[in-house]
Amino acid sequence: MIVNLNINDFGKELDISPGESLLSVLRREGYFGTKHGCEKGECGSCTVLLDGRPVNSCLLLAAQAEGSRVQTIEAVGQHPEQGWKLTEGLHSLQQAFVETGAIQCGYCTPAQILAAKALLERNPDPGEDEVREALSGVLCRCTGYLKPVQAVLRAAARMRGEAANDVGRRIFPEPQGISGDRGKGVGDTESPDFFAPIPSSTDTKVQVLPKMIVTSERETLSRVGKPDPKVDAVKLVQGKPAFTADFERRGMLIAKVLHSPVAHARIKHIDVSNALSLPGVAAVLTWKDIPRVVYSTAGQSDPIPGPLDTFSLDNKVRYVGDRVAFVAAETEEIAKKALELIEVEYEPLPELLDPDDAMKPGAPVLHDEPEFVNFADSDPGRNLAAEIRIDIGDIEQGYEEADHIFEDEFSVSKVQPAHIEPHVVVTYWNEDDRLVIRTSTQVPFHVRRQLAPVLGLPIKRIRVIKPRIGGGFGGKQEILNEDVAAHLTIATGRSVIHEYTREEEFIDARSRHPMRIRMKTGVKSDGTITANAMYVLTDTGAYGCHALTVTGNTGHKAMALYVGDGPYRKAPNIRFYADIVYTNHPPAGAYRGYGVPQGFWAVERHIEKIARHLDLDPLEFRLKNALRAGELHPFSTAWSEGREPRPEIIETCGLEACVQQGKAVIGWDQKYAVPEWHDVFNVKGECAPYLRKGIGVALVMQGTAIPYLDMGGASIKMNEDGSFNLLVGATDLGTGSDTVLAQMAAEVLGVPLEDVLVYSSDTDFTPFDKGAYASSTTYVSGAAVVLAAEKVAERIRDRASRMLNEDTEQQRVQPSEIRLVERRAITPDGRSVNLSDVGHNALHHEDQEQIMGVGSYMSPVAPPPFAAQFAEVTVDIETGQVVVDRLVMAVDSGVIVNPITASGQVEGGMAQALGYAVSEEMCYDERGRAREVDLWDYHIFRANEMPELETIFVETFEPSHPFGVKAVAEIPMDGVAPAVGNAVLDACGVHINDNPITPEKIWMKLNT
Amino acid sequence: MIIEYHRPQTINEALILLSRDQPATVPLGGGTVLNQPSREAYAVVDLQSLGLDEINKHGQLLQIGATCKLQSLLELDGKSDVVLPQALCDAIRLEGTINIRQLATVAGGLVSADGRSPFGTAMLALNPTLTLLPGEEEISYGELLPLRDLKLRHRLITQIHLPLNTKLSYHYVSRSPFDLPLVSAAVAIWSSGRTRVVLGGYGEMPALAFDGPESSGAEIAAQNVFQNAGDQWASAQYRREMAVVLTKRAIADMGGRV
Repeated sequence: MIVNLNINDFGKELDISPGESLLSVLRREGYFGTKHGCEKGECGSCTVLLDGRPVNSCLLLAAQAEGSRVQTIEAVGQHPEQGWKLTEGLHSLQQAFVETGAIQCGYCTPAQILAAKALLERNPDPGEDEVREALSGVLCRCTGYLKPVQAVLRAAARMRGEAANDVGRRIFPEPQGISGDRGKGVGDTESPDFFAPIPSSTDTKVQVLPKMIVTSERETLSRVGKPDPKVDAVKLVQGKPAFTADFERRGMLIAKVLHSPVAHARIKHIDVSNALSLPGVAAVLTWKDIPRVVYSTAGQSDPIPGPLDTFSLDNKVRYVGDRVAFVAAETEEIAKKALELIEVEYEPLPELLDPDDAMKPGAPVLHDEPEFVNFADSDPGRNLAAEIRIDIGDIEQGYEEADHIFEDEFSVSKVQPAHIEPHVVVTYWNEDDRLVIRTSTQVPFHVRRQLAPVLGLPIKRIRVIKPRIGGGFGGKQEILNEDVAAHLTIATGRSVIHEYTREEEFIDARSRHPMRIRMKTGVKSDGTITANAMYVLTDTGAYGCHALTVTGNTGHKAMALYVGDGPYRKAPNIRFYADIVYTNHPPAGAYRGYGVPQGFWAVERHIEKIARHLDLDPLEFRLKNALRAGELHPFSTAWSEGREPRPEIIETCGLEACVQQGKAVIGWDQKYAVPEWHDVFNVKGECAPYLRKGIGVALVMQGTAIPYLDMGGASIKMNEDGSFNLLVGATDLGTGSDTVLAQMAAEVLGVPLEDVLVYSSDTDFTPFDKGAYASSTTYVSGAAVVLAAEKVAERIRDRASRMLNEDTEQQRVQPSEIRLVERRAITPDGRSVNLSDVGHNALHHEDQEQIMGVGSYMSPVAPPPFAAQFAEVTVDIETGQVVVDRLVMAVDSGVIVNPITASGQVEGGMAQALGYAVSEEMCYDERGRAREVDLWDYHIFRANEMPELETIFVETFEPSHPFGVKAVAEIPMDGVAPAVGNAVLDACGVHINDNPITPEKIWMKLNT
Repeated sequence: MIIEYHRPQTINEALILLSRDQPATVPLGGGTVLNQPSREAYAVVDLQSLGLDEINKHGQLLQIGATCKLQSLLELDGKSDVVLPQALCDAIRLEGTINIRQLATVAGGLVSADGRSPFGTAMLALNPTLTLLPGEEEISYGELLPLRDLKLRHRLITQIHLPLNTKLSYHYVSRSPFDLPLVSAAVAIWSSGRTRVVLGGYGEMPALAFDGPESSGAEIAAQNVFQNAGDQWASAQYRREMAVVLTKRAIADMGGRV
């Protein structure tokens, strides 16, 4: 049917199908700022303005929009520099989003900006609640919404003609007497009473920057530590076609996957003839059509530290959602129809859905295929994907030395990364008949290496391009659907796009590993931990991707924090045993935190109970036993991701300072063990008898990269205008890593950030990088960037000295005497040459050369970040409903390269972890069918229901990195759930051992 | 799957289209339900040109056009002489995000309400009357809801008549403030003392638990209605107990005795 649409004030006559959504038509017409995130209006990333009002274009038929004015992000603002043409520049909202760091992956940013624009056009002076309401239609999985709200308030002020405040300076000196091993504090002294408790407030802070306690070592740094805007922010606020699915190619086929409706069965018979005969179908592939190559979908370095147990297509299905066939067709509609025409006869096999049953005699065996490749102690005959047995010290001796033994059991549920951009990939043969895979991945180099044998191609005939990623959180550390499109491109010779629906994300993508955890801890009456043991039973689902390493990290981090006091510091008694078993659930995999949140749920709930049982102050008890700087990481001699472990000393630990700062900000001393604070009063001052407030804490640690294994590379070349191209294999999945890497290069090269042009990543052009996982990019890839930049800087100094020494009347200068500052090479006596002249000289004038440098870095250590997570809750003791009121996290992540992006990581991480604490879980019925298949049932927090979030950075200077950094990305996932659990305990005396903490669980405990 | 799209200019045209059996033809309000993926093939009749989106107040009765958007209803509150019960505004906000509310219509929200619908639960307590065409049939929401598939076949809702002389309270339990409810209770009390209790959070539609001349006995009725209301989201025991707690609170909100 023909419709006339008014899109951004241009009339367009379009031929559409009656049921076609406005989203589909807009994207087909090139309005790529309108994003696909779901099909039911849950996420709002497809928001457009319809007659000035925000609507979900996925839920609106294109035909419905006829007669209305449709506005997309493409009509909002322009890049301020477009050569000789004057432009209006960015819209105030876009500018504010850039300045405040409101953009992380940027996938939902156009939608947020349009929603905010609609608000401000109706209400130029909104309050915070109104802003949150306006943004509530757009899910953001990255930011925690704080900075987007601040951006809108800031833009509103600016649009009203009010001066926009500075993004804020909240840098504080190091307080006296708490530093331990940390460096002397420097910086502004804006808040001498920093330790004074700051009252809780529901208002979003005007200042965007987090509170920071800085180290002295960063005093000389000019770019590192600055809140520079993200290097990709301007394109993302404009909704530029930067993501995988925004790629246009003539004649691209649409791929779809037929998923298994049963949890465990053999494919007895499959007939695709009807599907193949459907006009518009280009290919249908089943297990009969492609080579049978066993592999692992886990994107990890070689050799894969886990079993090889997966085929692109198999004659057996192992979970509801497992793959049965691939289809490529001219349109999505035809592809879907073709799926319905595939006839499959399943021979049912017994289902294995309870991990407790997995290793029992007679249990159904999931992996009986002869191609199965073991890793370490995996044993498919017992459904054992991996086994871990770690003993540090003598656990039994430790128990004997204890006055009290505490035992308890905990469980954590299966949860989804739920990145708003689904998994999406485009494949095609290029003009050299090399296979190009353009994919939303965290691990482009692993995709190339691991897919090569699966596709029957040598590595060199595959090129993987990673464009912008709309969030990943570990979910894209998986080679999940690249093979689907690639097989179909090989079969058809044509370009293919495959994009998951939201339902497919739930039934067929990866999740956090659910675990059942048993703790047994020996403690002396004075609070000294003498022995600590954890046993974990992990449900890896149908395949063993990340099975060993995720659960290994559960122990490696969570069980490393509390070593005990006194002699136990040097000789702790720790046991960590784990069995990781197959079941007929969808496979688990990598998810931000990588096993550590599961571990800390058990450890921190258990520690809290012990403290309360022994009547010990929970924070003093924790700090008494916690790991300190100068001590051996207890697991470093016992386990290293399935490889040879090597001893590692903790060089920096700001945990005690984090506790002090966090306590001050949340007002711990005024609340904990203060009975009257726990009462809740209404506006009339009447006590609400069924509401109780509680406060809780959890201390956590993570790691930074994988030592002796994962490597990052970088190359930098200089241009004649003094700018630099920085090429990295590292993948910025919204975290801001491109920006912080550029800041590090800019620091070494003495230029502003805008002079460093970052490109990541393309396996043909950028150096190798292991990818974005294990909290490694800032640390490992950053060190590689610094090494590359130092090589470039050396060449610049050399050439600059020659240029300056041409003036023979002046004193000769040595290259080593030259400093690179503010785009100039400067001698000690103040002479200088600007970098543009150096660039021209090198490329055009004399002794011509390309100034460039390549660096790579592999770390021998994995310095842990530490944090103190605090939570305040209100519990309704009649219903069990818990409302999380406030989250405060004080983090030691070493030196903070960019406080805006780093605090965005913490805020977003806390928001994700909040869902994990109270609302997110994936449940299955007795036949293995998913309860949650959309973002209505799988509830992610929205902007209008968030608690107050506060981030504090307590810097240390990690000596193993040139700029003293440690990781920040994953640790925010670790402490929220146990802190909330402990706060619930504080509020109403109820122990919830199984997360999430739901109303019924609390109510049941209160009533038993 | 939508195979035909029609946008009639008159109600008559719409009714003619809706009278067809082949293809199955249904009215399209905002589309927030019908435009979701579906395997069934059907034609839609877009009602946006029929002028059914007006809201008028007549005494203590609010006449709401069937295609009035939920957000329009929300924005009406306080911006005219219409004062909606605060609990109804809350339920509308809980029904869907602001983006959804810009599209979703009042009639669409009523006919598609499942047990977890806050708007459906609150409205069933208020029990508005709906006008159906053809036939100008007036039917209460309470009568329509269990028979909606049958009653709405080939027909069109044109108006909703909402009583404004009623107090309403809505309470719920959920995993987060804007999550779908695990249990909810809406209580409407008329000046005469008539009390209507509706429970939500469970089942294919909100459940009327009590409709009496006064509130006494309401909480027992609520408990009885959720006697076996267990599913994968909450146990029957929990829902049963919460039905009592929430009903008591809702009645107490309005100064009623429990």
